[in-house]
Amino acid sequence: MTSKIFQEPNYNHIHIPGSIQPHGVLIALSLSLSILQVSENVEEYLNVRPENLLNQPLSTLFGAEYIQALQSLLTSTSQTPTNFNFLKVTLNTANGEKYFDATIHKNETTIILELEPTFTKTEMSFLNFRSLIGDVVSQIQQTSKLSDFLNLVVSKLRNLTQFERVMTYRFDESGAGSVVAEAKHQELISYLGLHYPESDIPEPARRLYKRCSLRYIPNLNAQQSNLIPRDNPHTSQPLDLSNAILRSIDNCCIEYHQNMGVSALFVIPLIYDQKLWGLITCHNSNPKYLTSEVRTACAFLGQIVSLELGNKIVTEEFDYRNKLKLLQSQFIATISSADNFIDALIHPQLRLLDIVSANGCAVCLDDEITLIGATPSLEDVQKLIEWCQNTIDEDLFSTDSLPKIYPDAEAFKDFASGLLVLRISRIRRYYILWFRPEVIQTVNWAGAPNALYEFTADGSLKLSPRKSFEVWKGIVRLTSLPWMQCELDSAIDLRNAMVGIVLNKTDELAKINLELQRSNQELDSFAYVASHDLKEPLRGIHNYSNILIEDYAHLFDAEGLDYLNTLVTLTQRMDTLIDVLLRLSQLGQAELRKQFVDLNDLLNNIIEMFRASRPKDNFEIRIPQHLPVIECDPILINELFTNLISNAFKYNEQPHKWVEIGYLEGQIQKNDTPSPVFYVRDNGIGIQPHHQEIIFRLFKRLHPREKYGGGTGAGLAIAKKIVQRHGGKIWVESNYGHGSTFLFIL
Amino acid sequence: MIDAVQEPLLVVEDSNEDFRMLQRLMQRFEVKNPIYRCSDGDEVLNYLYHKGAYDNPRKAPRPSVILLDLNLPGVDGRYVLERIKQDITFREIPIVVFTTSSNPEDIELCYQKGANGYLIKPMDYKELHNIMRAFVNYWLEANVAPTIKY
Repeated sequence: MTSKIFQEPNYNHIHIPGSIQPHGVLIALSLSLSILQVSENVEEYLNVRPENLLNQPLSTLFGAEYIQALQSLLTSTSQTPTNFNFLKVTLNTANGEKYFDATIHKNETTIILELEPTFTKTEMSFLNFRSLIGDVVSQIQQTSKLSDFLNLVVSKLRNLTQFERVMTYRFDESGAGSVVAEAKHQELISYLGLHYPESDIPEPARRLYKRCSLRYIPNLNAQQSNLIPRDNPHTSQPLDLSNAILRSIDNCCIEYHQNMGVSALFVIPLIYDQKLWGLITCHNSNPKYLTSEVRTACAFLGQIVSLELGNKIVTEEFDYRNKLKLLQSQFIATISSADNFIDALIHPQLRLLDIVSANGCAVCLDDEITLIGATPSLEDVQKLIEWCQNTIDEDLFSTDSLPKIYPDAEAFKDFASGLLVLRISRIRRYYILWFRPEVIQTVNWAGAPNALYEFTADGSLKLSPRKSFEVWKGIVRLTSLPWMQCELDSAIDLRNAMVGIVLNKTDELAKINLELQRSNQELDSFAYVASHDLKEPLRGIHNYSNILIEDYAHLFDAEGLDYLNTLVTLTQRMDTLIDVLLRLSQLGQAELRKQFVDLNDLLNNIIEMFRASRPKDNFEIRIPQHLPVIECDPILINELFTNLISNAFKYNEQPHKWVEIGYLEGQIQKNDTPSPVFYVRDNGIGIQPHHQEIIFRLFKRLHPREKYGGGTGAGLAIAKKIVQRHGGKIWVESNYGHGSTFLFIL
Repeated sequence: MIDAVQEPLLVVEDSNEDFRMLQRLMQRFEVKNPIYRCSDGDEVLNYLYHKGAYDNPRKAPRPSVILLDLNLPGVDGRYVLERIKQDITFREIPIVVFTTSSNPEDIELCYQKGANGYLIKPMDYKELHNIMRAFVNYWLEANVAPTIKY
């Protein structure tokens, strides 16, 4: 009942107590039916002194026809308990005729005959039996849920036995039990939801429960009746009473039940899959006797329940598995069709929890962690994920006691005593973590717990359900409900589906990328061909206009000649536009000719060129720091700097114009290595914030054509293309009216 | 000096307008050389190999200079250049490429294939005038063409 008592060596001897309960008589016989031992209460029932029976043949007590009947009963029942097989016997004693229910069974060397007094001398008829069981069986079959089934059974058994309390214990895998169904007198405290440690019903007791179909103790407090002699005279060993209905009760068991206020106990073991699945236990505060008919009906019911239990458990598991499967297929359907995969994963939140019956969940996609339900803090989860990354090598990992392997988890045991980790990607930090609280958090105890505390005179907690509960709490500390195989399967299925979806998406992306690349190439070559072909008629227009001006000028008046000259100017403008298109398409198509370039040399050339082409202009080009050597296409980078510098002077109304070129070291990560950020800063007119994006568009101008020396509006589009070809990025920062800074990484 | 009449210029040009401009400038420059014109790549090859419409060799005299546009319908100028320069009977004929393309790749490719000059067709009328003037001065007047073998 408690670990202290469990340690007592006597506990292994409960099947050989050397005594029986006093509500019947036990007679041990040799195989030749000579009387070896009798219970000392034999005189009370049969009016014969024990010593007068020992070593006598059974025929001393029974007539030949009873002996024959008993023998045939013995062969039919062999060693199994005899709850169904009572033989009605009538014995003539000194006190007159007495009626008994006799049962008989045999172990290796001994035949054990048990007699219980009864009031009827007739066998129970089928109709009597039918009236006891009623339509319980058909009702049992109509329930589908295990809990409904168990509730029905306890209430029917309570009707049948008239005990004050009937409850069902269920054992978990560790052997600990809990009360899962209860029917009771309304004034009693409910035990529903109570948990017991495994030690409450120790292994030897479990073994006995597994062997016999019933345990019947009508009066716990009755004086037990010893066997005479104590040991079997043939074997000199205590008599094995494992299968004896009358076997006396262990002292601890008595104390335990006395402390609960129980005087009568009736237990029906529930066997499923050849294991002791649970017990149906009936309690009564006063001694309570059951007729053999009622007990037979109960035993029968117990067997029906055991049989049906399998169906219900299988159905329940099957239903649960189906529920998980259904959830999962819905889940996968939504996430595979959703545009935003992550969003679909997280919403609705409950679905992600239900898929493995967890209370909390964390979805980790690289550095983005989303918490759902009852979870540890974000910081704790982050540390936990790091730990998982370093420790766990499988795609699926689960534990029902995280604090045992990850001691920091003790701090958040209320949320994550149980952990299920699903790794979605080996390359990216993609994880789903599910949490279960410490099991104690999940216990739903129907009764008022304090009412169950009982103290002994010295103030310590008495052996009682409450004490059991405390012991159990200690045992299950820092553990959660275990993860079921079907839940783990559900998680793995989810992972496979997600990997499939991600792969599909990657495939799709790759396809789109390829398509995009192709269409980009096509666009570039289209632009190239188109601009070439456009040039030809344009040249025709241009040349013919010139011929008109040269050879036919006399045919036009001044206005006509003006139109002709405008026509020529327009063809020239169109030509420059086509040149830009050509240049851009070339930039898109041509291979980069990368080499290591000293930017100081490159810029010196550019500065010289600027000086030479604008000898009269007042401008300054500053390079405050030594520039690095970088790998790039020098012709393109020359064009890039030239474009940016010439823009800086073009859009500048200061009397003293300047441009500063430099770089910021390693501020931006590109391919995991810090890249320098180059800048070209000027004291020009600046760019308003809402224009800072569109200036990079092709042919986009912010000013009228005549202003700031004209231009096609292509310089920055070309600059952007050059930077993009190098795999970099260009952007602008500006203080409108005071200057701009163009920044880029390559 | 050999009579210019015996030094035909073959112009390969698909654009009628461009060809007309060229003729006009040639007239201005009083070029004496007979000018023959092919409009596409296949026609050039027929001209040189005396096939198709050019099966009469007298109608298609061996040119002493070829002015070759690159972007042509059908077989394009790059291919024509390669074919002529690979043929031992024609490879001595100077070929001057005359094209809108200023693409460095085109320029490099043409010289690699054996082009003897590369002129870019300018948009500007005056520039065109200057370039054609230079062509005539050098290739039709100053330069000595290889001796024609029959």
